[in-house]
Amino acid sequence: MKKTVDISLPVGPVHPLFKEPCRIKCETRGEYVLSAEVELGYVKKGIERIMRGRPWQEVMFLAERVCGICSVIHNYTFIEAVEKISGIIPPERAAYLRVIVNELDRMQSHLLANYSYCYTIEHETLAMYVLNLRETVMDQLELITGARVTCAYIIPGGVRWDLPDDRAESLKSALDHIDSELTRFVRIFETGPFIALRSKGIGILTKEAAEAAYAVGPTARASGISVDCRSDHPTYQALGFSPVVRHEGDNYARIMARFDEVFQSVNLIRSALLKMQPGPVRGGGVIQAGSIQYRMEAPRGELLYDLVTDEYGRILEIAIQTPSIMNIQVCAHEMLTDAESAADITSIFISSDPCIACTER
Amino acid sequence: MTSIIWYIREFLRPAWISRFLTAKTEPLVTPPYFRDFPVTTENECTQCLACMMICPAPEAIIVVKREGVWRPEITKGHCIRCGLCVEACPEDVLASGRILATKKEEKLLLSGTYHISINPKTCMGCGNCSVVCPVNREIDPSLRSSGTSRSNEVIMRVDTGQNKILHEEKCTGCKTCEEHCPNNAIRVARVVEATEGGKL
Ligand code: SF4
Ligand code: SF4
Ligand code: SF4
Repeated sequence: MKKTVDISLPVGPVHPLFKEPCRIKCETRGEYVLSAEVELGYVKKGIERIMRGRPWQEVMFLAERVCGICSVIHNYTFIEAVEKISGIIPPERAAYLRVIVNELDRMQSHLLANYSYCYTIEHETLAMYVLNLRETVMDQLELITGARVTCAYIIPGGVRWDLPDDRAESLKSALDHIDSELTRFVRIFETGPFIALRSKGIGILTKEAAEAAYAVGPTARASGISVDCRSDHPTYQALGFSPVVRHEGDNYARIMARFDEVFQSVNLIRSALLKMQPGPVRGGGVIQAGSIQYRMEAPRGELLYDLVTDEYGRILEIAIQTPSIMNIQVCAHEMLTDAESAADITSIFISSDPCIACTER
Repeated sequence: MTSIIWYIREFLRPAWISRFLTAKTEPLVTPPYFRDFPVTTENECTQCLACMMICPAPEAIIVVKREGVWRPEITKGHCIRCGLCVEACPEDVLASGRILATKKEEKLLLSGTYHISINPKTCMGCGNCSVVCPVNREIDPSLRSSGTSRSNEVIMRVDTGQNKILHEEKCTGCKTCEEHCPNNAIRVARVVEATEGGKL
């Protein structure tokens, strides 16, 4: 079929709604989007090349700097990968503390993603409410780890600091606060008619298309695919984890899936706090030679570290596969195609929670 | 209509009203547990170089002699505030946030061995590494600028156009050599293990 293209519409690379630079090229006919292409390559760091040949002490910090929004999961995945190579088993308390910090990080990442979405659909009030709530999470992260981002909390053989009771209490009250506030915000989101106009039935990703394009993370889970690497993780299994799945596959479902996951994280942290027994948090252990492919669930989906170490714990080869690249592609080829309005381009793109920094590494 | 009701309900909450009437931005304060750039304490530095060894950032910390005493100095633009040097220092010379207190509480023990590897293809025998190595200079103060030395006790020296390792066991892992090699030919691996002393 011959398509009549009116205009080739570029969005970005610098756009007020994008957190990071990337360019969407849309072929449009009137308001109707015929096809879209995402152009990346504005913030390439080459971090895998920098990591090569360095001891794990340095690579651990470089790994955190792959992505500024979800730094804890990179730390977590890298450390567990080298631990698996060397046969180090962290103390039980440390394993739960890792989950707590990781879930706090996921909460702030999801809240930031939903903030951007609300901002994109011009609901600034809700956006600011959500962003303000994210600060509560960031404060807890800082209280536990000493830093808001790039926490450097997880190290081989455990975590760097314990969570004393007073800090656990403050974490609990913060969780209650988040729970009650977020319930309110989610109700605003669910019942807002203008939000529904901009979200429901927009940017639909069917289950088949998501499967064919290997969508990951909340984007896939909002299209009815039950994938979550946390289901395979022993600590999460001990906490009785099961993925949040929605079936609508539109913008609304993706945002709601993230809100649901924030509630799920709150509950995971609560049960981890309950299950945690006093004990050591730093078991030690020396990194040895070996190779591994290790995957975990980042806030945006499956994160894979493929690495080779030498006998002194230096990283010889490393390749990182981040989740956003899958979602960005599926967004360009499935969700953006046939969008009814050019105004929806940014909101559809933001609803897939693209992270350019980790895509380009 | 529902949304208007929602807004009215939203704004009629006591918390919102009281916040609206007493609108005030809270002052920005750095919490005491924030992991800031490390600062030095009163304790005496013994020039063991453990802080330089553990530091993941290039040239963030150096131990220098000022007015006859050794002191660690931190370059703020390079330091990433990880706090590892605070954990590594056996004399508690450095402090940051609550790391020093936590370290004492946990009775943290750091042990490590260091391994130097030289890539013979890229080492051009300039001797920079042998000259800058603080241990080398301590052992043989008359070490030449070319990196050659008559002493057999040095960690490494330039010999027949290449840098040769003699005593790897004396290395403190400070990685000064790594930072001064123009070709990245010398690499120091630090096999470090941290365990809680008291609780295990
Ligand atoms: S805090 Fe970290 S980066 Fe800064 S000097 Fe100490 S070890 Fe180096
Ligand atoms: S680790 Fe402490 S005692 Fe050793 S050189 Fe550094 S500051 Fe000095
Ligand atoms: S790391 Fe290099 S400079 Fe430091 S003590 Fe060892 S050989 Fe010398």
